[in-house]
Amino acid sequence: MTVAPVITTERLTLRPLRLSDFTGYAAFLASDRAVHMGGPHKQETAWSWFCNDTAHWPLFGFGGLMIEDSVGRLLGQVSVTKGLEFPEPELGWFLFDGYEGKGFAGEAALALRRWVYTHAGLKTLVSYIGRTNRGSIALAERMGAELDETAATPNGDDCFVFRHPAADEVLI
Amino acid sequence: MMDLQIPVLKTERLTLRGPQARDFDAIAAFYADPERSWGFGGELDRNNAWRWFAAMIGHWVLRGYGFWTVETQNGDVVGIVGIWNPEGWPEPEIGWVMFEGFEGKGYAFEAASEVRRFAYQVLGFETLTSNIVPGNDKSVALAKKLGAWFEVEYDNVNMGTDHLYRHPSAATLEGMP
Repeated sequence: MTVAPVITTERLTLRPLRLSDFTGYAAFLASDRAVHMGGPHKQETAWSWFCNDTAHWPLFGFGGLMIEDSVGRLLGQVSVTKGLEFPEPELGWFLFDGYEGKGFAGEAALALRRWVYTHAGLKTLVSYIGRTNRGSIALAERMGAELDETAATPNGDDCFVFRHPAADEVLI
Repeated sequence: MMDLQIPVLKTERLTLRGPQARDFDAIAAFYADPERSWGFGGELDRNNAWRWFAAMIGHWVLRGYGFWTVETQNGDVVGIVGIWNPEGWPEPEIGWVMFEGFEGKGYAFEAASEVRRFAYQVLGFETLTSNIVPGNDKSVALAKKLGAWFEVEYDNVNMGTDHLYRHPSAATLEGMP
């Protein structure tokens, strides 16, 4: 059974979810910022997602991690999840209000991508991104991901599927 | 001995050259000393040290990179430093060993800096790690001096519980003098 790891990057710490993170997590999903994730979402939905991100670790060996900066501020979340509706494991990210534009999401997502390729045995990853979510599209492209028009989407949604460089391309 | 065409790297005080048969006694002495070798796989007798030494040379053939022997200008063999990525390793790492009597002089830092430069600028690596057994404080200090940071604890096939340090990327170092 995999225990969620603590991963440190140059500026960030990625760590397992704690119950005390839920308030901020639910507030984000209830806000307009969650529009690209099918939101705003009610607290019940936020709770089921929060438990889903946590339960992935023992079930699949990958899952969600909260992003903290060097002084312990909660910046957002990064995750690799394979919910029932996902055709394949997805690398996703979100930042709370005020923390965008500093490269934090990319730094966290690159570290988690490398970790799951190295330690969870995944060979490929996608990111499902809303067609108007320009920030995440730009980040996926900066990470070397490319649009995969042949890949299935969750529930047949009309979203973009960005496919990341494969494990054997990232791990030389 | 067959010429593997291992490049010779030079720094201010050191020469990094391909391993030669004459280096074996120094390797064997290192591995015979449990106090020195515990952070590098642990004590080996002379026969098993030879196997490791042969694997280290074979690593050059299989991967195109590996450990260099580090010499001073007067020919003292002070240690080995290089890039190591055997089967089962999470990803390529910069590794270092200083032999008895040659620590505390900054040789490992000088050699590892040059190896990293070579890996990024010539071999085309974009990132590098160093795997350090928890408690190997001298190596942690060197990793930090090189600008690396603790990334994650994981289970290494050979070392058991291991700490992975991540070096600044090629892109980050490019912007530095």
